[in-house]
Amino acid sequence: MPAAPVAERLVAAQWEVKRACNLLIAPTPEALDNCQDALTRAVSALTEFRSQCLEVLADPGARPMVDALRAEILRAGRLLQNLAGFYRGWERILGTMSAGYTAGGDPAPVARIGRFCCRG
Amino acid sequence: MPSLTATMMTASNALDAINQALDVVQNNVANASTPDYAAQTQSFDAMQFDPAQGFTGGVALAQIVSSRDEYAEQTVQQQTTLLGQAQQDVTSLTAIQSQFDVTGSSGISAAFNNLFSAFSAWGQTPASTVAQQDVIEQANNVASAFQQTAAGLAAVAQSTGQQLQDTVTNVNQLATQLAGYNQEIMSGDQDDAGLDAQIHSAFDQLSNDGGISATQQSDGTWTVLLNGQTPLVLGSQAFALSTGTVSPSPTSANPNAPPHLSLLAYDGTDITADTTSGQLGSLLNTANTVLPNYLGDGNQAGSLNILAQSFASNVNSLLTNGNQSDGPPPVAGVPLFTYDTTNATDVAQSLQVSSTITPNQLAAISPGPPEVSNGVALALSQLANPTSASDEINGLSYTQYYAGMAANVGTLLDNANASLSTQQSAVAQAQNVRQQISGVSLDTEATILIQFQQAYEANSKLISVLDQLTEDTMNMLTPTS
Repeated sequence: MPAAPVAERLVAAQWEVKRACNLLIAPTPEALDNCQDALTRAVSALTEFRSQCLEVLADPGARPMVDALRAEILRAGRLLQNLAGFYRGWERILGTMSAGYTAGGDPAPVARIGRFCCRG
Repeated sequence: MPSLTATMMTASNALDAINQALDVVQNNVANASTPDYAAQTQSFDAMQFDPAQGFTGGVALAQIVSSRDEYAEQTVQQQTTLLGQAQQDVTSLTAIQSQFDVTGSSGISAAFNNLFSAFSAWGQTPASTVAQQDVIEQANNVASAFQQTAAGLAAVAQSTGQQLQDTVTNVNQLATQLAGYNQEIMSGDQDDAGLDAQIHSAFDQLSNDGGISATQQSDGTWTVLLNGQTPLVLGSQAFALSTGTVSPSPTSANPNAPPHLSLLAYDGTDITADTTSGQLGSLLNTANTVLPNYLGDGNQAGSLNILAQSFASNVNSLLTNGNQSDGPPPVAGVPLFTYDTTNATDVAQSLQVSSTITPNQLAAISPGPPEVSNGVALALSQLANPTSASDEINGLSYTQYYAGMAANVGTLLDNANASLSTQQSAVAQAQNVRQQISGVSLDTEATILIQFQQAYEANSKLISVLDQLTEDTMNMLTPTS
C-alpha cells in the first residue's frame, strides 16, 4: 500500500475528478462552473504530490488507485471534449443562422454579451 | 354597437385560443416521461388593432412549435453509436477471453507445463514405460487443449455471425417501422408530436446498431442512411440489409481458411469496409479482424495455429532425429503429433497425438556424436526454457507466446471496458443536453399555465364588462314607457 498521505491525495484527486465527471454529465451552466472548481482542486491535489510520482508508480500497491485515477481523468477528458464539440457545433449553427458566412466560407462569429455569475 | 360586438368576438376568440394553448400544455405534461417526446409550444399571432377601421386586435392561434433540436438529437445518436460499439466489444471480447486460461490451472498453459514436466521425468528415466506413457498422456492433453481452445473460438465466431444476423434483422425491422411512420406523415400526420417521438425513439435504437444519419425532407418524411451513404429508409420504402460470407481467394495463402463475414446493402453492394461503428461495426471487427488473429484467415495462419504448428513440428523434429534404440541397426523415432498440413488455419483444431504411436516408440536417444541416451528427452524438456531461436516464436518461449496471446485479449477487454464506462457517461451527457433543450420542464409548463390562467381571467372579466356595457347600451336605446 502507498504511504498514507500519498494515498489520501490520490483518493482526494480521484474524488474531485469523479465529481467533475458527474457535473459534466449534467452540463447546466451552474454545473459547468462547479466542474471548473472541482477540476482545479484535482489538479492542485495532483500537483502537490508530483514530486512523489515516481515513488508512487513504483509501488505495486498504488497501481490500482493510480489506474482508477487515470480512468477517471480519461473519462473527464472525454466528457469535456464531447461537450466542447457539442457547443462548437452549436455555435457554428448559431453563427450561420444569425450572421451567415464569412468571405472564407466559415460560419460567421457569434457576437455575444457576457454572462454574469454571482456567488454568495 | 358593431364595435362592441366585434370586441366581444375578439375576447371570445382569445378564450378559444387560450383553451387550445392549454391543450398543448396538457399534452406536454402528460408526455413528460414519454421517451423522446419534445415539448411543444402554442404560438399566437397578434390581430390587427385599428379601432377606427373596425379592427379590435386580439390574438389568433398560429402554429404549434416543437422544441426538438435536431443537432442535439444527432449528438445523442452519435454517442449512442459509440456506446453500442463499446457494449458489443465488451460482450465479444469477454467471450474470447474465457477461452484463454491464464491462471495456469487449465487449458493450454497447464497442458504445456504438465507435458514439459513429463519430458523432464522421462529424461531422468528414458527407458521407463511409465514415464513414456505419461509423455503420451500429457501430449494428448496438449492436443486436446488446443482443440478445445480452437473449437471455443470457432464457437465465438459462429455466435458472432448469429449476432450479426440478429442485429441486421433488428435494423431491418426498425427501417420498416420508420417507413411506416413516413407513410403516416405523407397521409397528413406531420405535426403529430406522438409520431415525432416514436420516430426519434426509433432513431435512437437504430443508432445503437450502426452509424446512421437522419434528415427530414421538405414533405416532412425522414431519410435514413447507414454510414452516410447506404439507404435504409427513403419515403415510405425501407431498404433491407443482409449478411453474407466472403471465402478467401483461391490464390491466397490459406484458401481453405474460414470465410470473413460481410454486410450487404439492399442491392447486394458489400458495405463491410464502410461499417466501422455501432454494434454492426464491432461484430464485423470481431469476426474479420480480432478472431482471425487467433484462428487465421486467407492471409494469416492465426497465432493459435502458429503456436500449435511450431510446437508440434519442433517436438516431432526432435523425436524423428533421435533413435528409439541404438541397434544395431539403430531405429529412428516417430513423430508424436499429427495435424492438418494442408491448411495452416486448421492446425490447432486438428492437432492430435499420432494414433499409431506406442510408448516404446518415443525416441529418447540423441545419436550424436557423441550419443546421449536421454539427449532427445532432455532437449524436449528444455523447450520450457529455450536457449535456441529455433525453439522460440518471435523470441518467446511457447508458454510466453501463449501468455502473450492471452494478455493481448485481456488488454483489449480492459480497453473496451474503460471505453464502455466512458461512453455510458457520454451518452448520459448528450441525453441531458437534449433534455435541457427539448424535454418537458414541469416548472416551465406550470408557469405557462399560470400565465394562461391570468389571461383567461382577464378575458372573462373583459367579456362580462362588455356584456354589461352592451346591456346598458340596449337599455339606453330602449324607449321607456
